[in-house]
Amino acid sequence: MFDYTVITNNIGLLWQGLLMTLYFTVITIAAGMLIGLLVGLIQLSTFKPLVILGQIYVEFFRNIPLLVTLLWVYYAFPIFAGINVTKFWAGFIGLSCYVGSFYAEILRAGVQSVDPGQTDAATAIGMSYGQRMRRIILPQAFRKMIPPLAGQSIIQMKNTTLLSMITVPDLLYQASYISSFTYRPMEVYTAVGVIFLIILIPLTLLSRKLEKSGSLK
Amino acid sequence: MSISEPSAATDKGGKPVLRLDGICLKFGDKRVLNGIDLSVVEGEVVVLIGASGSGKTSLLRCINLLNVPTSGSIVIDDETLFDRQADGKGAQIPAQEVNRIRSKTGMVFQQFNLFPHMTALDNVMEGPVVVKKEPKEQARQKALQLLDLMGLAQHVQKHPRQLSGGQQQRVAIARAMAMQPKVMLFDEPTSALDPELVGEVMKAMVELARSGMTMVIVTHELGFAFEVADRVVFLDQGLVAEQGPPAKVLLHPEHPRLKTFVGRFHESADLLRPFLEAREAEKVC
Repeated sequence: MFDYTVITNNIGLLWQGLLMTLYFTVITIAAGMLIGLLVGLIQLSTFKPLVILGQIYVEFFRNIPLLVTLLWVYYAFPIFAGINVTKFWAGFIGLSCYVGSFYAEILRAGVQSVDPGQTDAATAIGMSYGQRMRRIILPQAFRKMIPPLAGQSIIQMKNTTLLSMITVPDLLYQASYISSFTYRPMEVYTAVGVIFLIILIPLTLLSRKLEKSGSLK
Repeated sequence: MSISEPSAATDKGGKPVLRLDGICLKFGDKRVLNGIDLSVVEGEVVVLIGASGSGKTSLLRCINLLNVPTSGSIVIDDETLFDRQADGKGAQIPAQEVNRIRSKTGMVFQQFNLFPHMTALDNVMEGPVVVKKEPKEQARQKALQLLDLMGLAQHVQKHPRQLSGGQQQRVAIARAMAMQPKVMLFDEPTSALDPELVGEVMKAMVELARSGMTMVIVTHELGFAFEVADRVVFLDQGLVAEQGPPAKVLLHPEHPRLKTFVGRFHESADLLRPFLEAREAEKVC
């Protein structure tokens, strides 16, 4: 009933898909963190217009379904802005902006959860805003941010499957391709699920460990 | 109401290290400080007292601009840290300058506010290394010396959570002292401590005062004020209501509110009297 040969015969395609998925996961998380840091700090500034700008960004990308964002960047951007984006760039931009909005919120919440007395103490010894952030606030905030960051990053890896909708050949795209000529979607999609489990469970455990060692210091 | 002749109120006639003029502070519609003048000379120990809500902590936090006054001027060691007149005019001091002048004050907080991700030693070294760009080795030596002075030689490698409240507060004093401040600001430094730990922190502060450090202290420990203060300043409704030598202000208060304030302290001291007398009697036997 369960035909393993469907998977073993097409392992090469799945491997290619997996590499694509991992590639997009890594680069969009990296870019998303940069965006999150920037937008998060903007939201934490005392300059009202900047704060509002940051909020608009976050609410925009957080509340539009990722699929819509991806389709919009890929199909509508060229039409309205006259800029031609490849599917790779569209996927990269859409996914990074999306996860960036979540990271920004995690950073903001993390920084705001640090005792204001820490800012007082750092200010009182003459530290500038940058020194305060770098040396005192962010190291403490980051420890509290590890669990939500890990959670969001795991979601991000799963979200890369939406890339298949704009025909980026990721794991899910390859799976649907394989099932289109083997007519065995059950085996193929089960395999995809197992691959995600194998990769993400160790990462979850790692984040738990990081969280513990972080709180020890 | 406020008295603006600082030297008249104290017998230490040195050069002023700190000068506040017409400090007003509002939080929204709430007026917290209503024009405070205060001048502190070198080596002077000034204790701010007052009921809660009288603005003493707010005033202390204004001195290093943790609270930014609505108007007034602040001069520390002949350098203007803040200057804004009631009509909004005044000198604009760039943030970099503010940070530099601000580091001439050291502050000790009620809740210690040590950096929890650093050891005691790193806490003390942080300011000199990051702000003053001192060489690490030099800062380390100085920090070790200060911690030793605070009686913490065995605890330099511990993190704050491994230390008692009293030890944490002494690390905090060392951290503030490491910046070689011209004036030390203490914001109710013993209020968050267990009663048996109050003594060790006060002892450190007394030693600091004896070494000639200029200090401004907000505290409820009137006995301590009596012992070390050169001048006691009583704040009431955001104004200096009365000030003078501790013997005068604490024993012969004039202002009606100060009378009630000090009276309450005497009442609670009276409760201790039988206990103290019994102890004295035992000593004699």
